[in-house]
Parts: sequence; C-alpha cells; structure tokens
Amino acid sequence: MTEESRDGEVLIEVKGMKKWFPIKEGMLSAAKSYVRAVDGVDLQIKRGETLGIVGESGCGKTTLGRVLLGLIPITDGSVLYGGEDIRTIPDRELRRKMQIVFQDPGGSMNPRMSVRAIVGEPLQVNRLAEGAELTQKVADVLDSVGLKREHMNRFPHEFSGGQKQRLALARSLSLDPEFILLDEPTSSLDVSVQAQVLNLLEEIQEKRGLTFVFITHALNVVNHISDRVAVMYLGKIVEIADTNNLFSEPAHPYTHALMSAIPEPSLEKASRRRIVLGGDVPSPADPPPGCRFHTRCPIAEEGLCDVEEPKLESIGEGHSVACHFPLGPGKKLPIIGDDQIPPEDDDSPKTVVL
Amino acid sequence: MTENVLEVEGLRVHFDTLDGPIEALHSVDLKVKDKQIMGLVGESGCGKSVTSLVTIGLATCDVDEGSVRYQGEQLLFSDSDEDSRVQDISGWIVVLCVMTAILGFLWTVLINPIQGVTVLLASIIVGGLSWAVGFAAKSEFRKHQKFMRWVRGNEISMIFQEPMSALNPLYTVEKQISEVMRTHDRLVDAETPRHIRILQALVSPFSLFVRAIRLSPYVSSAVIGIFAFVTAAHVGGFSDEAELWAFLLVIILPILGSRSSLKERREAIETHLAVTGYSVEGVAVDIALGTSSQTSDSGAQIRLWSLLSIAAPNLPLGIASSIVVYLMLWMPFSALMGIVVICTLLALPVVIILDYLILDPAHTRQVISILEDVKIPNPEAVVRMYPHELSGGMRQRVMIAMMMACEPKLLIADEPTTALDVTIQAQILKLMRDLRDEKGTAILLITHDLGVIAEMCDDVTVMYAGSVVETGSITDVLSRPRMPYSIGLLHSIPTIEAGSERAVLPIIPGQVPDPNLHFDGCRFHPRCPFADEKCISTPPPMMEVEPGHFAACHYTDRTNNVSQVQAAFDRFAAEYELEGAA
Repeated sequence: MTEESRDGEVLIEVKGMKKWFPIKEGMLSAAKSYVRAVDGVDLQIKRGETLGIVGESGCGKTTLGRVLLGLIPITDGSVLYGGEDIRTIPDRELRRKMQIVFQDPGGSMNPRMSVRAIVGEPLQVNRLAEGAELTQKVADVLDSVGLKREHMNRFPHEFSGGQKQRLALARSLSLDPEFILLDEPTSSLDVSVQAQVLNLLEEIQEKRGLTFVFITHALNVVNHISDRVAVMYLGKIVEIADTNNLFSEPAHPYTHALMSAIPEPSLEKASRRRIVLGGDVPSPADPPPGCRFHTRCPIAEEGLCDVEEPKLESIGEGHSVACHFPLGPGKKLPIIGDDQIPPEDDDSPKTVVL
Repeated sequence: MTENVLEVEGLRVHFDTLDGPIEALHSVDLKVKDKQIMGLVGESGCGKSVTSLVTIGLATCDVDEGSVRYQGEQLLFSDSDEDSRVQDISGWIVVLCVMTAILGFLWTVLINPIQGVTVLLASIIVGGLSWAVGFAAKSEFRKHQKFMRWVRGNEISMIFQEPMSALNPLYTVEKQISEVMRTHDRLVDAETPRHIRILQALVSPFSLFVRAIRLSPYVSSAVIGIFAFVTAAHVGGFSDEAELWAFLLVIILPILGSRSSLKERREAIETHLAVTGYSVEGVAVDIALGTSSQTSDSGAQIRLWSLLSIAAPNLPLGIASSIVVYLMLWMPFSALMGIVVICTLLALPVVIILDYLILDPAHTRQVISILEDVKIPNPEAVVRMYPHELSGGMRQRVMIAMMMACEPKLLIADEPTTALDVTIQAQILKLMRDLRDEKGTAILLITHDLGVIAEMCDDVTVMYAGSVVETGSITDVLSRPRMPYSIGLLHSIPTIEAGSERAVLPIIPGQVPDPNLHFDGCRFHPRCPFADEKCISTPPPMMEVEPGHFAACHYTDRTNNVSQVQAAFDRFAAEYELEGAA
C-alpha cells in the first residue's frame, strides 16, 4: 500500500467517549456523584495527520488521551483502532502500535536506569531484540532523535530538559509505532528548546509517516504543528476544524477568548482585541446546565444557552462547532467594556470584551 | 517625573558549592522607573530570580561586587573591614574557649578538681567576653537587617511563582493576610478591647456548647441523651442490664445522622453555588429528594432503598458509638468520671486559646476590603477558606492581595502567571495593570514569556546566562532587537497567526551554557552565527545603539537588519546540526 492511498484513511475513531470518575464518601457508600472528565466525545483521527487538542487545565484533554490509549478503562462509548475496538486488542499488540510521550520527561524515566535500558526496555519486553542487536537498535533510534551513541550509558539526570524529552520520544519510537500521543511534550521546556523539539517532531513524522495526537494548552504551538485542532471545554469538544480555518475564522466564543488571551511577542498584535473571561472554569463534578460555557460567555442568551445544550454541528468543510450562535466572517463579538457591565447584586466577575 | 525606584549596578554574585564557587550573575544592571512596569526576560537558569532575591535580601548567595539602591538607599550590606576582622577573631576565640572549657570539665572530673575548675571558669569568662565584643561588632549588620525587614512588605513586595507553595495550607486566607498586616503594623484598631476579648475567650467553652446545640440539634441532643442515660444507669445501679441496650444504637444513630447530614449537605451545596457565582434559580438543589425524585416512578420500594443508602455511610459511626457506650456502661462509675474530668481539663485551655486567636471583626472587614480590591468574588466566604479550596487564579489573587496589603512602591512579580491557564493569565495581567494605574506601583515583572512582556511592560531587559544582554523600551527591543540572542528568541516562538503552520520553526542551536563553565568573552558565542575570535576573548560592552536602547554585542552594526540575522541563524543552525553537537 503506498503512502498516498493510505492518506485520509481513518486510523482511530472515537464514538461517544465518556469517562466519569466516581466520587465516594466513606467505604460502604455507592458513588455520590461523578466527575465528568470526558463527557461524550466523537472524533476521527486520520492516518498521517496531527490532531491538536487544546483546552485549559481540567478540561479533560489528558483523560481523553489516556482513554484513547486504553491506559484507563472507558466508562461509555468506544475507541476503534483501525476498525477494531481497542478493548479487544491484546495489550502487548496495542502498545506496539500506540505509544505515548508524557508531559514531564524527568518524571517518566527511572533515574536508576541507563539510557540503553530505558530506550531498549520496550524491545526487551516484546522480545524483539537482545544483546548486540538491541544496542544497535537503540543507537539507531537515538540517532533519529538527534542524540548520539555515546549517550547510551548515561543516566537521565545527566541530560538537560530538551534532551530528556528527546529520550522520551526515542523510547516511544523504539517499537516503531503507527500512532504517538504527545501529552504536553513542550510545556516544561524553554522557548528556544521548544522550537528544537517541535522541529524534530515534524521531521520524524515526515520520515516515518506517523500519526500524532498533540495535547497542549498552548494554542501557538498547536497552530504550528497540527493539521486539525479540537478545542475542549469541560469534557466536551466545542470546536473542531482544520488549523487554517480555526485560526482565521474561529466560530466558538471560547476559541475566540482563548486566542485573544495568548500573549504575542509583537507590539501590533499586543494591541488587538481581547476578551478577558470572567471567573473560573466550573467544576466538572457539577457542570452548568445547557451550554457549559454559558456562565462565562459574552453572548449567552438567557432561556436558550442555559437550558439547551448545543450539538456539535458542521458549519463548513471539516469545521464543526457546538454553539447556538456561532461566529463567522459576518458575525463578530460585540464590544463590552468595563463600564458597560451593569452593576449587579452578586459581584462575580464578568467577561470583558475590549 | 520618572525617577528610578530601583537601581541595580554591576551586580556580581556567586554561590558556594562543594565543587567550588559558581558565579550566578556576572554583571547585572537594571533600572526600574517610578510607576513603570519593567520586564525581565530570559530562559531558565539565566539568573532572573537570583537578581530579584538579591534585591530584597533573601538570596543565599554571596555578593562579590555591585550595588542595589532603592530610592537612593543601599540595600546590600557588607561589614567594614575592621568590623569583619573583629567578628572573625572573636569567633575563633569563642571556639577555642568552648574547647578549653570541655577540657577543663574533663580535667575536673578525672584529674584535679581545683585546676580543672579554674580552667573552666577562665575559659567561660574569656569566651563570654569575646562573644560580647563580636556581638557588638555586628550591630551595624543587625541594624541593616531591621531596615530590610521594614523595606520588605512596606516598600518592596514580591509575588512568587507558585501560589500554592507560598501560601500556608494550614491557615485560612484571613489569617495569612492579617499576619502580613500585623507584622507591618497596618491593622486598624480592634473593635473589641482586649479585656473583653479575654473574657469572651474564658466563657467560650459554654458558648461552644450553645453553638453546637443550635447548629446541629439532632446530634448534640443524641449525645447529651446518651450521657444522661449512662449516668442514670450507673447511679440507678442498672448498668449491667443496660449494656445490651447499647447495641440498639447501631440502628438508631445512622437514621438520626442521615437526617441531619442531608440538611448540612444541602446547605453546603447552596453556599458552594453562591460562591462560584452560578445562578441558583433553575438548578434544583433539592438533595433530600434528589435520589428519590429521579427514581420516583418505581414507588415506595425505591424510597426505602434510597433511605437505606443514605443511612449506610453512617453505619460505621453507629457501630463505633455503640461500642463506646457499651464500654462506658461496663467500666466503674469512678473511672468514667476520672476520664471525663481529665479530658475536660486538657481540652479547656486549647478551646480558650483558640477562641482568643480568632480574628477581630474589624480586621476581618479590613481583609475583605483588600480581597475586593483584587476582584475576588464573594470575599466574605473566601476569607474563611483554606488555600486548597481556591482555584489557581484565586490563589494568585490572594497572593497579590497579600502583597498589596501594605501598599508597596515596588512590586517584584516572579513569574506570576506561569502556572496558570491563558484565560486566567489574562485576568491576572489585567489586574496587575489596573493596580499600577490606580496606585502607581512600579512593577518588576520577571517572566520567560516574551508575549507577556509585550502586553504588560514599558521597558524590558533581556538576560542570558547571568548577564544583561539587551535593555531598552519595549518598542525598541521588540521591533528592533540588536543582540543576536534576543533576535533568535523572538523568532523561535510559534505564533497563532493563521497560515503560519507547518513551516520549520527558526531555532537557536545548542542550549544555555552550564554556569560552571568559565567564559572570557561573550557567553552567547557558542550559539551565535557572528561569533569570531574577538567574541571568544573579550566580553562585549553595553553599546548604546539608539538613545536608551543598549545591547551587549561586539557587532551591533551587523545586527540592524533582523531578517539577515535570521538567515544567518538558519545557516548556522544547519551547520551546527552537521557538527552533531546535540
């Protein structure tokens, strides 16, 4: 099968994925309530693409990733890998196809193991290589992430943050997987090192035809690396689109707010319109009724947004949004300044659009 | 009038480690003008935090040279030569005297008491005298410490990066903020005079009793009833027969308990909703019917089941209390009374002291008004919360409130938003800008995010590996950077502009050098495309490339065209990778 004919083929399909964590009080009680970390997510990941998942902390993006890989059991719905439910695929086989790179590279490596042991362990577990062959394979993988053969006998603490992240990537590449989940791979790195790691990821994807899911909270990173982007809020996908579409015409007010909140290191852009959302993300243990964003939304309408939950609907080619009033080229957010907000009895902070 | 609030000049500091001294800052010059926001930017390990800690005198490093002046007052302190010599000598004498004293003691015990005691006394006298001389020589140092304690909080405050580790998890918000204000003498006069507070504390055990009955009448009446029953059984002499009755509590208590706990939980949820700012209308908060109303179509059976499931969590409580009651009936009456009396005597002082420590209402109101300044919703409820009950943004607001409590002239914010989400970061940055506009506080904002700098600051200073490499106004540095490091850093940040995706990101090859390494020349030369012999051998001077815009580079004349520099970086990065220097 050539590369082109495989392009566009759906590799992973997520149908109605739910992950609820029970909250228990005491030993004998049943679950009192649930934290709805992921609450009904449908996704399709095509072979060879990079799907970015963005959202604030606590919106369920990491949980989504872990359920996707089968690291934690799913509550409801299903994840199909190449048409097959991942619950029916044996673990060892699944891990050879799907791998993960964790957020904190230092924390995900045993400090007492040498690099050869860390990177070679997946090969040993799967009985793919031993002895000199293992050493050769580890050297090859290290070479592909820009590390050298001499590094093989060192220990993780001897590496800098960027190099550790390269090591973590090498470990996940050692089994030659088809799919890698990158869970905030650059958020603990400095800017100049982040750029190096991002370039490396793109290079490796091109060489090996990998499929990436890139979980992050940084929209600028996602814009750089992804083909498609899904924006999550409180366990739901609120908008999903091609990167170009999403960044030129964001349709969901939350996406708008997120984009305007990114500080940009340039003066013209620093003076652009900005939305300062009021308040915090509500608790996923008891999400607001109706649209989950209505408590912070500048254009929420009473009687509709706080009652009826919007469905994820297509508004253009490959662009879906879950909003009653999607924004678009002809529809912009109105300006709501500090002075235009009527003083009310409850002094909860209000969203400001400048 | 733009007077400099803070002036740091030629600061050079080192840390003493087991591997010898490590120079953390080489030459740092920094000026923060009045009512201005100065940004200090750089990657991790470049000395941003050390600079700020040295400024407020909290750093654990040794200052080699340089000066830090706050409104003209020197903040760094070093003893005069004579004083430090006196301190050294007196220290040595004290050590020798302690050793002789020990020797004298052993001599007394083992060999000759008279000689031993003489030596012991002599060494104690000599040691004590020389300690006193050393102590006197340190008077200047103590005076400076006192001055710094006054400066910190009153004049210069600091916001730390991680609000959770800077707040004490054991104290409520009001306690922590009022502590800052008490230390700096900013609390208003207490509403209730001290002698009334003491009287109130003394009667607090009784008021505690009354409050318990009022707040949870079911539980407290059950407890009182059980005690009355036990006493009656002992006095009436039927405690032996009553022992078996104790086990009835296994059934009675959970059912009683579930009624009161339901009520408490409903109240808790209502206050929670009020605090988080949701509209309570429309949300049915009827928890008592919650379980049964969802399944009401199945009738009475479900109701019974739901009652049991509510009562079940209290079952362990029922079992435990029945055992306790059984033991109270089983033991002799005198022993029971002994236990009751001893427990009461132990608990009374604790109850009284804790009550005395409760904040005065006037002080609570003062704390609430400070929390209102930083726009925390529902401050009346927040003051009684512990840090773990607050979200990240709220915690950072509490930190800012604490720092603003004494209205300092200069605020040092060390990565105040790094641990926060972007939307919360936008809130906090807006808050800090508003504070500057309203109260005229100068801010030294330390961050690694050039985006935050672009949004907040008037002036910016770029640091690399312990030295300042570029400084100037925000427009100068961001639109016309002249130091190659600043140029590379600005371009390696991905943007959110549509259409910029999937291109190779410009990078600075290599990484920040190890602080152990010694450089004769420019510290950036291993990663710089323009580096030559001169850069390796001579440290670059701060060149004024424009009025008020300084860059530390030998070749500022070559760096005026940003796109050319970027092209040079790209070529250099390709070569760098070929060399394989990972």
